[in-house]
Amino acid sequence: MVVQRLAARRAVQVENWEEAARAAGALLVELGCATPNYVERMSALVREQGPYMVLAPGLALLHARPEDGGLAPGLAVITLAQPVSFGHPENDPVDLILAFASPNAQDHLDLLARLARALQNGLDLQLRQSESESEMLERLHTALESHVCF
Amino acid sequence: MRLTRDPLYIATVCGVGMGSSLILKMTVEDALRELGIPGRVEHMDLSSVRSARVDVIVAQPLHTEELKGLNALVIPVTNFLDKEGIKRALVTRLREVGWIAE
Repeated sequence: MVVQRLAARRAVQVENWEEAARAAGALLVELGCATPNYVERMSALVREQGPYMVLAPGLALLHARPEDGGLAPGLAVITLAQPVSFGHPENDPVDLILAFASPNAQDHLDLLARLARALQNGLDLQLRQSESESEMLERLHTALESHVCF
Repeated sequence: MRLTRDPLYIATVCGVGMGSSLILKMTVEDALRELGIPGRVEHMDLSSVRSARVDVIVAQPLHTEELKGLNALVIPVTNFLDKEGIKRALVTRLREVGWIAE
């Protein structure tokens, strides 16, 4: 599988988690993977359901439901110039945001399974240490293509 | 490692059942494999798990608080990428309820 719909931004300036979510979501829209409504729903889910999406120290995985405007499977990654708080009791503050979209409940499974393995193997640190956006993208491509899961 | 319940049926749970729970499923599967525990892991959302007949539920503490009344072993996990931490939590809780055949 070749993961084509990837985007990355480095050291993004935001004031709070909602701005961070919008910045990551805007990349999904640019990629053609999500509608603006999908991006709104990403933040709404955090407000409605609490900050469980902060699934490891410093790392949030944001998404909405396919029916909220998911158009194609894709992944956007941003690192933050200053970490923000999501209100998670243990995993705050967050400096790495991963946002994904999917058009249905299946098409993102392979992408996320690969992402999980890559994160276990230190992709989060590699992304934080990248010195350019092209380096982030290269590391993403390498990590996601080399972890065969299913 | 042998269990009195074999294979173990584990649900990884999050609010929507698409993202965080899928990441957690991968880590739990790796943890089980390394422990030599036969198990089946499925990811699902908070409402689905209420009607699923599972042995173990793994989720963020935020969610496990809501799931405490269910007839399943509930294991809170804060870091979904921490395979070693999840291995320790699994063994500790499975031993507590006597599911590990000594």
